[in-house]
Amino acid sequence: MKTTLLAGTAALVLSAGFAQAQEKTLTISVYAFAQDEFKEIVYDPFEAQCGCKLVVETGNSVERLAKIEANKASPVIDMAVVSMADALDASRKGLIDPVDHAKLTNYDKLYDFAKDPNGDGMSVGYTFYATSIAYRSDKMTVESWADLLKEDVVSHIAFPNVTTNQGPPALYMLGKALGSDTANLEAPIAAIGEQKDEIVTFYVKSSQLVQLMQQEEIWAAPIGRFAWAPLAKLDLPIAWATPSEGQSGGMNVMVVTKGSQNRDLALQFMDFWLSTEVQTKLAEAMVDSPANAEVQVSDEVANNITYGAETAESLDLMPSAMLLDNRDAWLEEWNAKVGQ
Amino acid sequence: MFQNRKEALALALPAALFAATVFLVPVVLLLSEGFRAPGHWSISAYIDFFASPLNRAVFLRTLKLGFLVTAVAAVLGYAAAYAIVPLPASAKGRMIGLVVLPLMISPVARTYAWIVILGRTGIVNQALSFVGLTDEPLRILFTETAVFIGLLQLFLPLMIISLISALENLPRDVVPAARVLGANWFQVFWKVILPLTREGLVIGGTLVFTGAMTAYITPAILGGSKVLMLETLLYQRVTVASDFASASVIALILISMSFAANILLRRIASVRRKS
Repeated sequence: MKTTLLAGTAALVLSAGFAQAQEKTLTISVYAFAQDEFKEIVYDPFEAQCGCKLVVETGNSVERLAKIEANKASPVIDMAVVSMADALDASRKGLIDPVDHAKLTNYDKLYDFAKDPNGDGMSVGYTFYATSIAYRSDKMTVESWADLLKEDVVSHIAFPNVTTNQGPPALYMLGKALGSDTANLEAPIAAIGEQKDEIVTFYVKSSQLVQLMQQEEIWAAPIGRFAWAPLAKLDLPIAWATPSEGQSGGMNVMVVTKGSQNRDLALQFMDFWLSTEVQTKLAEAMVDSPANAEVQVSDEVANNITYGAETAESLDLMPSAMLLDNRDAWLEEWNAKVGQ
Repeated sequence: MFQNRKEALALALPAALFAATVFLVPVVLLLSEGFRAPGHWSISAYIDFFASPLNRAVFLRTLKLGFLVTAVAAVLGYAAAYAIVPLPASAKGRMIGLVVLPLMISPVARTYAWIVILGRTGIVNQALSFVGLTDEPLRILFTETAVFIGLLQLFLPLMIISLISALENLPRDVVPAARVLGANWFQVFWKVILPLTREGLVIGGTLVFTGAMTAYITPAILGGSKVLMLETLLYQRVTVASDFASASVIALILISMSFAANILLRRIASVRRKS
């Protein structure tokens, strides 16, 4: 009897294990931030819905793209979220496949600019953000991006390093304010270089700014809107600038890895993420600004994220090709004028 | 102990194989990247690296801070160790515990504490303005001074510990003997204590110099991109420019400098012992 019971249990355990092995697995590659919220709002509900297993890999986009490139021959990652420029980079390197829009039921609900951000059919935007200046309204005013370099202000600012996602758009807008509207960013980099000893620091992670603001080490810094919430929570008069030259920004997109074995499942997952319900929840948790135009949020939430068609249209986004083709030149220019 | 050499080798083999596959092979592969050019081997990556004024500046800054931190740690370390060694056992234990304590705190937390201390509204600036030394707060954060202070605090305990064990082996009578024979304190230190504790200085010096050269968190947080060091430059080359050739050059420079520091310090020690 005992033996039969044991054998039966063993068979059950084995078959359960087998069933699990049969279960479909989708491997996604995402930014490391707000993973608790993503798990609750996106990953867990999707797993329940599809009866599949999600494997989540996180990291910054360079690390993640390098991994996708290294495994080009037999892809491990099925879908990834990256910046617009990185998507173009991946597309040029032949690492991603076109996104089949027909399989995305929520595709038509997206803002037009998010539908095919690079115009090559290889990606779909799921969130976007404004880049402007967060500043101490009791210490200074910001009417122009060039105000950052004013004599009484410049020794109290942190500027994003050219190597960060916020660096090029901030330099681009500063260049416009200085009357130079070109892709080479020579003028704004030179202007920053002249003041490099005055500027407090060239920040790499926006999370650093909270402490610097709190300690009154800095009064102002160009930041992405996604980093605004923790600054707004500080007990200090901090405002979001609307400079006369406008605001820049960025967009993050979803891509499907070339040769993925789970393409349909990946598209199903992307569709789920783009749905009005999920995008609303992500907005309410102040995790990501919605790219789905049907999303409605309260004023309080709207004030803390980048929200609405009007805002979206006003953003002066840098074209991906411009970012990609000039990245090395900017870094060289920056290292020569600012880095030493 | 072993019947023959083969037995001993067989026992050492698994560990050696493990180290070779997971450490030596990747390191050699990584370093060879710097000598690779399309189709042939070349040292052009090294020439290119040192041709850049930025890279030269970063190299010299790293070397300078490494030496400064080691030198100041040695001076402070001798003073602290000399004070701790003669204490009664229980007090000595407590003091050594205090010296080691910072090593038990994560470098990230320690370094963030320095941001608070060195900031414009931090204790250092408050004290300076209270005493009347400065009118407006000094800019210390994100300068070489901040990186120096952070690195010194990070590695000083290693120097103190090395020197304590060296000083403990110093024969008790040599210092009074030198004094009786008319040596002043400087001569006592230079001619008696230093030669007899050089081993400790070599160990401590190598640990501090290597540590200061290769630390990442402290220069990244306290210096930022305004005070690039080799380690932070390496990170920038890999993550931003995907430039593995330069990164491999930097890695080889760091490894060579650690070896060079150790060999140099050992030579000094052995020369003194012979003389």
